[in-house]
Amino acid sequence: MDPEMDSQLKIGFIGAGNMAFGIAKGILSGNVLPVNVKVGAPSSRNLGRFQELGISVTHSNVEVVGSSDVVFVAVKPHLVPQVLSEVSQHVTDRHVIVSVAAGVTLATLEELLPENSVAIRLMPNLPCVVQEGALLFARGSHAKQEDGALLRSLLHRCGLVEEGPEAWIDIHTGLSGSGVAFVYLFAEALAEGAVKMGMPSALAHSIASQTVLGAGRLLRDSGKHPAQLRSEVCTPGGTTIYGLHTLEQGGVRASTISAVESATERARELGRKSAAGSRK
Amino acid sequence: MSVGFIGAGQLAHALVKGFTAAGVITAHRITASSPDTDLPTVSGLRKMGVSLTTSNKETVNKSDVLFLAVKPHIIPFVLDEIGPDIEDRHLIVSCAAGVTISSIEKKLLQYRTAPKVMRCMTNTPVVVKEGATVYATGTHAEVEDGKLLEQLMASVGYCTEVEEDLIDAVTGLSGSGPAYAFTALDALADGGVKMGLPRRLAVRLGAQALLGAAKMLLDSEQHPGQLKDNVCSPGGATIHALHVLESGGFRSLLINAVEASCIRTRELQSLADQERISPAAIKKTTLDKVLQQPGVTVSGVANGNGRSGLSLFNNRGSGIKKKN
Repeated sequence: MDPEMDSQLKIGFIGAGNMAFGIAKGILSGNVLPVNVKVGAPSSRNLGRFQELGISVTHSNVEVVGSSDVVFVAVKPHLVPQVLSEVSQHVTDRHVIVSVAAGVTLATLEELLPENSVAIRLMPNLPCVVQEGALLFARGSHAKQEDGALLRSLLHRCGLVEEGPEAWIDIHTGLSGSGVAFVYLFAEALAEGAVKMGMPSALAHSIASQTVLGAGRLLRDSGKHPAQLRSEVCTPGGTTIYGLHTLEQGGVRASTISAVESATERARELGRKSAAGSRK
Repeated sequence: MSVGFIGAGQLAHALVKGFTAAGVITAHRITASSPDTDLPTVSGLRKMGVSLTTSNKETVNKSDVLFLAVKPHIIPFVLDEIGPDIEDRHLIVSCAAGVTISSIEKKLLQYRTAPKVMRCMTNTPVVVKEGATVYATGTHAEVEDGKLLEQLMASVGYCTEVEEDLIDAVTGLSGSGPAYAFTALDALADGGVKMGLPRRLAVRLGAQALLGAAKMLLDSEQHPGQLKDNVCSPGGATIHALHVLESGGFRSLLINAVEASCIRTRELQSLADQERISPAAIKKTTLDKVLQQPGVTVSGVANGNGRSGLSLFNNRGSGIKKKN
C-alpha cells in the first residue's frame, strides 16, 4: 500500500478495550501517525494507554466518526445498535466502518447504518494485543476490494490478516478466537504433566509456554505441514512417539475437532440470536 | 542357481509364484519339501512346475539358496535334520518370525564351521510382486550373499537390508500389515454394502481405493497428512468421515496393532530362546511326519530342574534320538 496515503489516513476507535488497543498498536507500527488516530470511550479509565502512544482521546463517539476515515467499532456486541444509531447520521460515503463485535452480522450493521455505507466485519483474536493476532474480515455489500485492501494494509502488523465470506467468520471464531483458549488448556496440561513427574510448577509453566510459542513459530515460519514437523520430531522408538501414542489413545484429535465444531456452532447460534434481538 | 524351500505352505507358495512371475528363476530350478502332501499349496507348487519331495535332505542337496519356510517352532527340528547335509555353497535364509540368526547359527555350527545364514521378513503380497521384505545378514554370510537375496526378493517387491533388531518391528508393520488391510477392506466393503452397493463392486472399489492411495503415497514426496488434507474439501464428506474415524481412535488402534504384533513376535522369540518347548505345542501330525523321515529321531531331555520336554537348541552330537 501507498505509505503516503497511509500517513494521511485518519483512524478512529469507538471503544477503548483490549481489542481496540491491540489493533491501534498494530496500526501505529505502520505508517499511520498517532496524531491521526482518535479513540472514544464514555469513561477515561482505559484511555490512558492510548494517550501514552500519542493518540487523541475523546468522550464523544460523534467526534470520532467526524474526524476519521476508517472507524473501528470496538464495543461489546450488545452496545453496537446503540452506538451506531448515535453516530449514524454522521457516517458518509467516505467512511469505512469496521465492526469487531462478535456475532453482529453485516446485515445488522448495514441496517443500522445509512444506505450504501461501507461496512466490514472483522474478527480478531486475543494475541492482537501482542501483534500476533489472527484476523479474518468479511466485506459488506458496499465494501469494495480497495476497502478490503486498505484494511489489510492497516492491520498487517497486528498479525495474520485474511479475507473471507461472512460464513467463515464463525468458523474463525471457533478456530482462532476460542482456539487461543484451547492452546492455553493444552499448555496448562503440559505443565501439569511435568509437575506430576517432579518439576516445580513455575518452571514447568514457563517451559510449557515457551514450548508452545517455539512450536508455533516453527510451524508458521517453516511452511511445513504440521504432520511433517511432528514426524521430524519423532525418532524411532523414542520418547515423542511414546507420548504421541498416549495422546492418540486419548482421542485428542477427535476432541479438538469437536471443540472447534462446538465453538463454531455456538458462534452461529449467538449470531442468529443477536440478529433476532436487533430486529426487535 | 537353484532355490529350495523347506516347507511348502503359504510362504513358499507365495514366493515361488512371485519369483516365477518375475522371471528371476524358472520353476524347474526350484525344489520344495513338505511332510504333508495334502496341503493345497503343495498342489499349487506342483502345478507351477516345482519339484516336490517329502525329503528335506533332497531339497538341500538340490539347492544353493535354501529358504526355511516352516513355522518358527519347527525350525530347530529342520536344522537338526539337514545340518549334516549343509555344504559351503549353501545360503540358508530363514523366514521364520522371531527366530534369531544366532539361534540358527548356533545349531548349524555343530555341523559346519561357517554356515551362511540370513534372516528375512517378507509378506504375502510377494505373490503379486508387491511384497515388503527386509533381511539381516548373519556372521558368515558375505556381501554377495546379501546381494543375491536382495536380487531375488526385489523381484517380488520392495527389499532392503536392516539391522536384525528391527525385524520384529517390521513383522508388526508389514509382516502383519496385509491382514490389517484385509480387515479394513472387509469393513469398508460392508460400509459400501450398507449404503447400497453390491458386494463385489464394494470390494473392488475399496481395494482399488487403498491400492491407489498407497501408490500415491509411495510416488509422492508429501507427508501422508498433507495427502489426507488434499482429499478433504472444507465441510465436505471426507472430513466428516475422518472425524468419525478419529473419534473411534482409529490411529491409536493401528499403532496398538503394530505394537502388539511386534511384542508377540519378541515373545515367540524368547520362548524359543529359552530352549524349551513342550511336545504338545507342536502340531502332532507335523511332528509325526518329521519323525518319519530317515535319520530323524527324538529324545526327551531332562534338565537339571527335572523338567522334561524337547530340547530345541541344546542338542550336542548327531541329531535328536527317539525316547523309548
